[in-house]
Amino acid sequence: MDLDRFFKKKNVDFDLYEIDLFSAYDHELLGISERMGLALNVDEMKRIRSYFKSKNRNPTDVELQALGQAWSEHCCYKSSKVPLQQYVFGIEKDRVVAREDAGVMEFDKDHYYCAALESHNHPSAVEPYGGAATGVGGIVRDVVCMGAQPIAYVDPLFFGPLDLPFEEVPRGTKHPIFLFKGVVDGIRDYGNRIGIPTLSGQVYFHRGYTGNCLVNVGCIGVMKKDELIHSRAKAPGNVYIYVGGKTGRDGIHGVTFASAELTDESEASSRSAVQVGDPITKEPLIHVTLECNRKGLLEGLKDFGGGGLSCVCGELAYEAGFGAEIHLDNVPLKEEGLSPWEIWVSESQERMMFLVKPENVDKVLHICKQWDVTAVPIGKVIKDKITRVYYKGVKILEMDMDFYTGGPVYDTCQRPYTVSKPYAMSDPDFKMPKLDDVLKQLLSSPNIASKEWVIRQYDHEVRGNTVIKPLQGKLGFESHGDATVLKPFENSFRGLAVTANVNPCFMERDPYWGACSAVDETCRNLVSVGAKPDALLDCLNFGNPEKPEKMGEFYEACRGLGDMARDLHLPFMSGNVSFYNESIKTAVPPTPTIMGIGIVKDIRKCVTSDFKKEGNPVYLVGKKTEKEMGGSEYYKIMDVDGGFVPKTDTKILKNCMRNILEAISKGFISACHDVSEGGIGVCLSEMCIGGDIGAVIDLTKIGEGLRSDFKLFSESNTRWVVEVKKTYKKDFEKLFKNRKNFFVYLGEVKNSTLVIRDNKKKIIDFKVDVLREHWSKTIWDFMG
Amino acid sequence: MKKSDIRVGVLRIEGTNCEQESYDAFKRLGANPEFVHLKQLLHIDCDKDEKRDVFDYQCLMIPGGFSAGDYIRAGAIFAARIKSKLGKDLEEFVKQEYPILGVCNGFQVLTELGLLPGLDVVMKSIPDACLSINDSNRFECRPTLLKHENNGKCVFTRRIPKGDIRLIPSAHAEGKLLFPLDEQELYLKKLDENDQIVFRYVNPDGEYAGYPWNPNGSIFNIAGVCNYIGNVFGMMPHPERVFYRFQHPDWTRSEFSNNVGDGRAVFESVLDYVCKKF
Repeated sequence: MDLDRFFKKKNVDFDLYEIDLFSAYDHELLGISERMGLALNVDEMKRIRSYFKSKNRNPTDVELQALGQAWSEHCCYKSSKVPLQQYVFGIEKDRVVAREDAGVMEFDKDHYYCAALESHNHPSAVEPYGGAATGVGGIVRDVVCMGAQPIAYVDPLFFGPLDLPFEEVPRGTKHPIFLFKGVVDGIRDYGNRIGIPTLSGQVYFHRGYTGNCLVNVGCIGVMKKDELIHSRAKAPGNVYIYVGGKTGRDGIHGVTFASAELTDESEASSRSAVQVGDPITKEPLIHVTLECNRKGLLEGLKDFGGGGLSCVCGELAYEAGFGAEIHLDNVPLKEEGLSPWEIWVSESQERMMFLVKPENVDKVLHICKQWDVTAVPIGKVIKDKITRVYYKGVKILEMDMDFYTGGPVYDTCQRPYTVSKPYAMSDPDFKMPKLDDVLKQLLSSPNIASKEWVIRQYDHEVRGNTVIKPLQGKLGFESHGDATVLKPFENSFRGLAVTANVNPCFMERDPYWGACSAVDETCRNLVSVGAKPDALLDCLNFGNPEKPEKMGEFYEACRGLGDMARDLHLPFMSGNVSFYNESIKTAVPPTPTIMGIGIVKDIRKCVTSDFKKEGNPVYLVGKKTEKEMGGSEYYKIMDVDGGFVPKTDTKILKNCMRNILEAISKGFISACHDVSEGGIGVCLSEMCIGGDIGAVIDLTKIGEGLRSDFKLFSESNTRWVVEVKKTYKKDFEKLFKNRKNFFVYLGEVKNSTLVIRDNKKKIIDFKVDVLREHWSKTIWDFMG
Repeated sequence: MKKSDIRVGVLRIEGTNCEQESYDAFKRLGANPEFVHLKQLLHIDCDKDEKRDVFDYQCLMIPGGFSAGDYIRAGAIFAARIKSKLGKDLEEFVKQEYPILGVCNGFQVLTELGLLPGLDVVMKSIPDACLSINDSNRFECRPTLLKHENNGKCVFTRRIPKGDIRLIPSAHAEGKLLFPLDEQELYLKKLDENDQIVFRYVNPDGEYAGYPWNPNGSIFNIAGVCNYIGNVFGMMPHPERVFYRFQHPDWTRSEFSNNVGDGRAVFESVLDYVCKKF
């Protein structure tokens, strides 16, 4: 298609084109969109044409590029809006103080906490090191731009199987080992350098992520209440000050790149969409931003995210009902020769936009100068609801705010969706295998095995706030904890607990119950350390929303998340949607990563997952253990296809949370661990490994009539194993009996062997050293 | 002098990132710490009231982090920037027996400055030791146990009995102390004779052990050394991260009556020293 005739060079001494939309046919409009890398469809192009018809002129290339950014999937959630509104938005909304780049909630009477969770999937699939690093860099800006001091990172990661034979790696895709290493390196080198502890998160391996790994990044911050700042202008005349790194060609079209499927050409065609991170520009940028904010010098603040200058300038003014006048000449550039449209949409990293009163500009510039951070005034907020952009004295963009930044409203444009029946419900018959062999296999399976290789490469203690670490237990023998706890303020023992979860094997079989399970597990993890769940964040990673069955998965997942959150009174304080997580061969399992934040009243009461002391009684607490084996690690190992995905019951969950928290606060409990992948068998093993001590356990009384293997490996929700201090045995039992909370006495902590019996038969008998041996080596063997 | 009069300069440049907890450690003990950007000491880009002088302080601390990104060799850039303009001042500061603490990246900076190991001169013109890449070739964030070996020379550990084992965590990628290869034995001998060895890595049984208890492969399991005077001290592990007991990785496993962490004594010791000395 010859499209050249639509591009008319303007008579100026830099690159500026007028795009002749008036004389283009529909298919040519689409051609123009594609050629310019806009990812706008025909309807959107027509809408643009009619807007400019009303203005009696054709758009410039700058204007079209700007609209491509502002309207893209990534920026305004056009596919997800309807289901999110239907199920997820609005829950406990009065408790959410602000929902902008990050969500803000109350921590105590003087402080807020702030959190954000985002995906950085496509860039990480193409360039794992840079993609992950800039993901971490982007999320920290979201927290800083609310005025908060970042205090922790959480990074849930999803890859293809580490043992994937090389011949099965699809063309244009990188091997999971390479991706895993690159992503961890990227997070480590960036996170450690800017001095924010990475408290781990989740690492999960599944075939579905082979062509499209998922890198989700979360960040938490805290602030005094009067330090909260919004991403909007206060008054016309506010000066835009561009602060931080220079603008370059890296990260052009990142937004539009994220809104299409990956192909085997993605590396060659989209490498420029991955930005380059620079933590040593970012670290002082954080200082400068927080210092200016604390001194009350800022009127509005926003980080450069998707869409670069184009989005940040527009949104700051639009949110306040004003307009913007911007001059691109002063924007600091990495290289010469950038076209104005490139400057306008580049997503180069490490940049923030300050809005400052004219009289404070010099003070802000001085603070920036002290830290050697570049800062340049580039424009001002104007009264008219119009964005005007100038370059070398020429007006290169002029559009109404409502049209440009407001974007099309897609509420009525609902994507078609079909909800498929949950997959393979019935349980096939099979003979019970040797259970000790299965336990060994489970402990060494990559999704359960020790993640020490990852965790110890992240600095999880910098800032000195981490009071419950990601690895818990006896020195040198640590095992996985359920959640990490931070004590953010010097004069208070109040803490924040953090965790992130989703079980993709549940999700691919049953997106509704899978999503419910993710929330259930998140609550369990928080409660395990002694934290009351306070808020959730969701990062919804799904396939191509234009396919009705993928959209159906999205609807079902949202319905599950909403049902759980509403019952539990937990708001989604912030979230992110990532579609098109597909490559030619595979789509990812629906993956709604749930990050949970809990409040610990007094961190001195916190509990860890490791068994503590010989003679202490051990209980199973919570929902009855059932034969809910769909998506379980046990069935995966046995290669059994079928079974129900575990269901949840919020009534039981709420009762359990209340009682366990009370028992912890009264000091009854010395160890607590939630039962998840690998069931009670794995849960007990991890508690033994961390405590370097054994236990004698009897499963006879749980799930009566259940076969031993199902008792041991069922992943039924809402269950915890707790170790109770011997002296409090009676108090503990009384509390749970009074509250009608189901619990079973399992046995006691003892010796250096884990012995498990069922109906008088010994089914497991392993030295703790042997358990550790199987659990600790797998990831090291692949990655070490 | 009174503790509350002791001004501690917590030095920083871009990429310094353990300054808050380092500042807090001194503050909690009643001293008067202050963040000071290197440019304030160099009098670049600052207003009159922001200018500082090395001798405004009775104690300096270079905290952990990745100063200037550590892209060349850990601490090298920070050290070069200090040395070019402040070398003389610092030398004088040390000669007057004011204390300087370097933790993690700070230890690397002190070594690159030639202030450590400081066998016989205050400041070497060319560094004679380095903190090299960990044997594992990875960043290692893990609890480490340090045995206190000093007989009283080091002014930062006088509150810790000799032979005491302290849990002070490590988090670094370049912490392997090395001396010129053909003179290693000589250096160790001198360090020992001068009572400059302060902390050595041990396992939970108190034995000098290899990885992971020695997280980096450091020679002679050395975790921290002081200069021949005893007032310049560098260590890789982070005492400011275990100021309180609740910051220990295994605190949930034991009963304890006070909230004193294993690293606190480092800060107490130096404040004691300054109080008495000046």
